[in-house]
Amino acid sequence: MGQDNIVAIAGLTHDYGGVVALRDLTLQIPPGVTGLVGANGAGKTTMLRLILGLLHPTAGGMTVMGHDPQTEPLEVRARIGYMPEGNCLPRDQTAADFVAYTAQLAGIPPSEARRRSSETLFLVGLEEERFRFLGDFSTGMQQRVKLAQAIVHDPDLLLLDEPASGLDPAGRTQMLQLIRRLGEFDINVIVSSHVLTDIEETCSWVVMLDAGDLLRSGPLQGFEKRGSVQVEVVTDALLVAERLSNRGLQVTVDGLRLVVGPGDQSIEQAVLEETAAAGAGLVRMVRGSASLEDLFLQPSEMTGP
Amino acid sequence: MTDQVIYDRGYRTYDGERTGPAGARRAVYKEGIRRVLGLGRKAREKVYPWVMIAIAVGMAAIVIGVHWFIGDLAESLAEGVPSYGELFDLYSWIGLLFIAFAGPWLLIPDRTRGVLSVYFSRPLTVDGYLTAKVGAFVSVVGAIYLVPQVVLHLGLGLISSDGFLTYMGDNLDVLWKVPVTTLAFVAMHGALAFLLSAFIDRPGIASAAFLGVLIPGRFIAAQISEATFAGARWTALLAFDHLPRVIRDALFRDTVTYPAETAGFGGWTAAAVIGAAVVVAAVFVRWRYRRLA
Repeated sequence: MGQDNIVAIAGLTHDYGGVVALRDLTLQIPPGVTGLVGANGAGKTTMLRLILGLLHPTAGGMTVMGHDPQTEPLEVRARIGYMPEGNCLPRDQTAADFVAYTAQLAGIPPSEARRRSSETLFLVGLEEERFRFLGDFSTGMQQRVKLAQAIVHDPDLLLLDEPASGLDPAGRTQMLQLIRRLGEFDINVIVSSHVLTDIEETCSWVVMLDAGDLLRSGPLQGFEKRGSVQVEVVTDALLVAERLSNRGLQVTVDGLRLVVGPGDQSIEQAVLEETAAAGAGLVRMVRGSASLEDLFLQPSEMTGP
Repeated sequence: MTDQVIYDRGYRTYDGERTGPAGARRAVYKEGIRRVLGLGRKAREKVYPWVMIAIAVGMAAIVIGVHWFIGDLAESLAEGVPSYGELFDLYSWIGLLFIAFAGPWLLIPDRTRGVLSVYFSRPLTVDGYLTAKVGAFVSVVGAIYLVPQVVLHLGLGLISSDGFLTYMGDNLDVLWKVPVTTLAFVAMHGALAFLLSAFIDRPGIASAAFLGVLIPGRFIAAQISEATFAGARWTALLAFDHLPRVIRDALFRDTVTYPAETAGFGGWTAAAVIGAAVVVAAVFVRWRYRRLA
């Protein structure tokens, strides 16, 4: 793929009989591990199903690895691995049989499918349990099998829908480690989650959806430099706040302490200039790191590719 | 040689052959056969299908044994032993009970356990999926009907006093009549089993509904068809379980008569109704699964 975008979406709208699930989205998703973030009902699963060509957009369109999923769905699906959010495992098959079967569904010949099934189950930590029936698996083990079936055929793009759903803290940590490893293997991944910390831990790019609208799309790297700056002055805190507000910055004042931003590194320069101009005397200036949740709740724009 | 051990093999990419949608359909077909026969499943899931198969083949073996035992010394006795056509009466009950299990088991778990979401994320269309499932169904159920008949045919040939080849030559018509009759049974029962299984989410209920439509239905339709109101005779065609038997009678000229035959309908009419049932089932099942995909 080189540096081409994995997914390119233009003016995409999808509704379910009058209920708009996605509204006029235009964005690009680069190679790497991307987080698709939003509350339940934000349109994440709808977007994944559109990428797979299982839904038809009401308006607009997209390309996935250079193919249009509406006109070439089988070409797209042959190169995608999909881990659904809900239950998708037959209780009456062993893990090894099921994963080998899903590899064959993706076009891998049977003998190679069996070999890759064993290797993939080894990778997700189920080498000992691979001949047990799936109906006997715990939730955590089932999530690993779901991940294994999604990667067994060496997809170019992996779609994970709430991969840590239903897992206990230890299971969640292990699942996130696995996803990070997939990124290290140069597998392009789109992780859908409503848990922002999961995205922070695993992704290099984030797409935020809110009730079908695109909130943000951009890199996660550098988010910490977009946090707020905590400032303490010797005197005239209100005057400093007023001068900073005049420069278009958000400022809250608590005595001699100010919180400025969030924003980029230009905040520090502005604080230096305005405290000097006001003669307020700068005691302390510390940048706090921004969490993904802060950014999700802030209306500021991020740049896309 | 070293004594080093690889603890983490990482992830191996795959650059080999990919068989595409045809390979996906083959995989569904093979997995369908394995599921119906309980292969790769727990032991309890193998019991029912293999008992049915054993009974079907066992019946053929018993008929051969009876023929061998009475031999040519008592040909009049041999007339009491079921012929090829009459054996369908026995096999059709086994087939009916097998299909009541196989149809729901083939379709419903994929749907209710959410596995379709994985299948249709692969290069597999709804039509490809259903075609492969029908293929698996026809292969297994067809074998339930055909294998005992083949065993019977070869067995009777081997014990024939006229010699194997002479027996085969004298009974060439069996080679097409048996498969055609088998197709009629598999098509009629299969269409109904697939239709019910596509809309009912519990295999047990689907099995009961299948048997409930066919077994009481044959008696109800037969009773109504004998009524005196105009067009009553057409209801004989709603005794779906009788329709393949009408075709069987037409082909083998057996003496058993069914309400449809009494009402004046022959093999071609029965074949047309079976064909219509298959088309109706295909349309509704396809509609159902396209909504699910």
